[in-house]
Amino acid sequence: MIAMSEPRSPSADAPPDPRSARRARIDAARAELSAATERGDGGRQALRQYSHRMDAMVQQLFAEAGPLAQPVGVFALGGYGRRQLCLHSDIDLLILFAGSIGPSDERFLHAFLNPIWDLGLTIGHHVREVSEGSDVGGDNPEFLLALTDARPVVGDATLLDQFSGGTEATSTAVRTLEALKGLIAARHARFNDTLYQLEPDLKESPGGLRDLFAALTIAKLTDPALLGQGGSGPRALDDAEEFLLRVRSILHLEAKRHHNVLSHELQERAAERLGYPGSTPRQQVERLMGDYFRHARAIDRSLRWALKSAPAPVGHNLVRAADGIRFVDVRAAADRPETWLAAFQAALDNDCGVSDDMLASIQQHAGRFRADDFTPTSAHRDALLRFLKPRQGLYAQLSEMHDVGLLGQMFPEFKAISCRVVRDFYHKYTVDEHTLLTIRNLERLTGAGPERERFARLLGELDAPELLVLALLFHDVGKWRDDDHHVESARMARQMFDRMRLDDHARATVEFLVVEHLKMSVAAFRRDTEDPEIVRQFAALVGVEERLKMLCLVTLADVEAVGRETLTPWREELLWRLYVDTYNHLTLSYGDEVINGGQSATSELVRNRPPDLDGQDIEAFLRGLPRRYLQLFSPVAIYSHVRRSRHLETDSLEAWLEQQADGWELTVITHDKPFLFSNISGVLSSYGMDILRGFAFTKPDGLVVDMFRFTDEERFLELNPEGVAKVIKRLEDVIAGRTDPAVRLKGREEGALRRKLPGLAPVVHCDNESSRRYTIVEIVAENALGLLYRLSRAMSESGCDVDLVLIATEGRRAIDTFHLTRQGQKLSADQQRELTDNLLRVLEGSP
Amino acid sequence: MKLIKSIVRPNKVDEVKNALEKLQISGMTVTEVRGHGKQKGHTAIYRGQEYNVSLLPKMEIEVVVPDAMVSDAVKAITEAARTGEIGDGRIFVIPVGESYKIRTGEREV
Repeated sequence: MIAMSEPRSPSADAPPDPRSARRARIDAARAELSAATERGDGGRQALRQYSHRMDAMVQQLFAEAGPLAQPVGVFALGGYGRRQLCLHSDIDLLILFAGSIGPSDERFLHAFLNPIWDLGLTIGHHVREVSEGSDVGGDNPEFLLALTDARPVVGDATLLDQFSGGTEATSTAVRTLEALKGLIAARHARFNDTLYQLEPDLKESPGGLRDLFAALTIAKLTDPALLGQGGSGPRALDDAEEFLLRVRSILHLEAKRHHNVLSHELQERAAERLGYPGSTPRQQVERLMGDYFRHARAIDRSLRWALKSAPAPVGHNLVRAADGIRFVDVRAAADRPETWLAAFQAALDNDCGVSDDMLASIQQHAGRFRADDFTPTSAHRDALLRFLKPRQGLYAQLSEMHDVGLLGQMFPEFKAISCRVVRDFYHKYTVDEHTLLTIRNLERLTGAGPERERFARLLGELDAPELLVLALLFHDVGKWRDDDHHVESARMARQMFDRMRLDDHARATVEFLVVEHLKMSVAAFRRDTEDPEIVRQFAALVGVEERLKMLCLVTLADVEAVGRETLTPWREELLWRLYVDTYNHLTLSYGDEVINGGQSATSELVRNRPPDLDGQDIEAFLRGLPRRYLQLFSPVAIYSHVRRSRHLETDSLEAWLEQQADGWELTVITHDKPFLFSNISGVLSSYGMDILRGFAFTKPDGLVVDMFRFTDEERFLELNPEGVAKVIKRLEDVIAGRTDPAVRLKGREEGALRRKLPGLAPVVHCDNESSRRYTIVEIVAENALGLLYRLSRAMSESGCDVDLVLIATEGRRAIDTFHLTRQGQKLSADQQRELTDNLLRVLEGSP
Repeated sequence: MKLIKSIVRPNKVDEVKNALEKLQISGMTVTEVRGHGKQKGHTAIYRGQEYNVSLLPKMEIEVVVPDAMVSDAVKAITEAARTGEIGDGRIFVIPVGESYKIRTGEREV
């Protein structure tokens, strides 16, 4: 190897001109590589040295390019990234900025890149912001692949991790591999799918350098040991690479440009430079080409092996192998506990297990980490909650996690009941296994047959079934102590809430389920559930249908996990009957249970009121509302309602839209008038909104509080900056009678009726027994745009006052419960019949 | 010797057991059963749809007592299981010819 000579100053006194100095350095580096190539030594070592010289130049230019306005990193890609930069190769650079690129960053880029162009070097540069990582690769598979060889040269090296972090979605490795396969196929097609080219392209031809890097990339993405298990073997690949690089260096030197085709003419020059024996150039060339085809075959064989045998990528650093899910880079994974859950998620998604090697690695390292290390970001915490959604295989994965100590590290509270024995007459298993079996019982509901269909349906209707699993995981952790385990379980669960940073609703739900997990079995199996008072008390405990469903499922799963024979069909029936009676109480009888002051919840709201609210205003607002209202809203929301209703004029309304995690929420406070409910629902439907849940409460004094949860399928509110204001304005116009929602809704309704799905026969049921004050109409029908509008309009047209409404949607079914009166009275039998006929006509799409 | 077979509400089992134990009647068999009496169950409504609940969950308690204790036992069961509402259950008194202890083969008449 020739040592690089330092450029000499033009004179001893004058400082060296930076441009000349750079030129001299790069010329020296090129001379060094040329000399090695002339000797036939332009292989790996020489190219590594040349890449190293180029790194030094890039680092110097970066330092000279001026002050940085923000963190910037420069990374070598492609052949330069692999330190195999040839004499006339492009210098592929990725320049990453931590934030948005501004004018000062552009000045820096010019100052950094212009000198490289001045030197006559060809740069292939990508300038990106870190936040763009998540968009990488979709339309640029070459760039996606180049990233697999990215190497930091200068600047902030951590930016690449942040950039790649955006591409760590489960599909990234899959996409990279697919992109690679596509590129290989297209490239091979250009060469008629044969490596036996008389004038081969050393880089592009089948069996060339790109194939070699493709085989190495597949191994890197899926199994680092892959190329040692089949194909030509690592040594043959090393030899092939060295040969091809040496020849390629000669081509660049001889052609004086980026040239990779080993033409007949250049074959003679290469054979001569590499010192092939032979009395004639033809003999020398035959030997050179014999070696070439031998090496090309070795590469081709290894690539075919890699394509055929590589395990399938199923996530970042994860593959699915014959023995289950494995880490690609075990050593890297050992220090990144936040990536471990993804392996179990992949096992669930791919209906397989986690490999024994991987479980052993997790068992070895799990004890080094604290609970927070497994879920350091909100994305990781969300992933954990997604993982806990009941589905086939969850019990098996949680059991594996428990066996290797991972579950106890992620949830230290669970460790307290590991192999815990509690002796009683009923339980057959240790507390930890009982707990995991409750989750197995729940997951079995997801594939339940007809005998459990009714409970399975409840599970399918839940908004957040993962909270059920979380509650089951914690329902018995308090059994590490011998008394009042549900109280202790709740205390321990609260520690987890803080770690997981659950929102208030999730905390309240899980805590309720943990604290009350025994109540439904006591009520169902030991109380007289035919006594309405027992049902009323139980309904008061659960408050709303969602909690009832969750507690019912917790009870079912818990009782069944006590022992094999514990949950008999007889007990199931008792449990179901209590569920139905309580559900009916919650949905049909709530209109009779109104707030009349003096209740503890009201007093608490008054006591804790903000300074701007008067206690009397709060009491006046609440008086006459169903008690259910207090279960549906937080104190903050209730205070807001009081404020908005205080000075409400007779013909005015307060309406506001809020975006929620799963859609939008419209709240309206106004005074009752005919067709009010149908008009509000009609406005939402006229914008294509799909109303999923909600309620309408009308107080005896005429004040109305309505809330609608809906999805905006056409993204009207998202795409239109003025969308929210437009909807509210239309609402005001419709309620004031200035416009009719039917006009705008008509076209949409006709389309919706044309698309109406067959198969679900509508049900209309009138009930004059469940409520003292109201006739209740329950409607179960195929969900459709404008359904609520058409039904409530038909009711109003029949002379009914729509006083209370509960709106629910479960899958394709709309389940709506209306509390009606007519001139302040329940409907007579004739009026019920007439209304039922009208509603059925509406449901069947008749005019 | 008589077999007293009682069909009671599920939540009344503990009270019946306690009442029988006060009479020194401790051996008993409790079984989960489903059935209906004269009212033949009832109709329930869930989400607007009616469905028949023809077989109601009940508990069956069987005890064998000497003839002299039958009336006390029946009285105790009746008082413990009664709510006064439809569905309180039934008591059947059935003669028992002889019985055997399986472990010893001992015969009781």
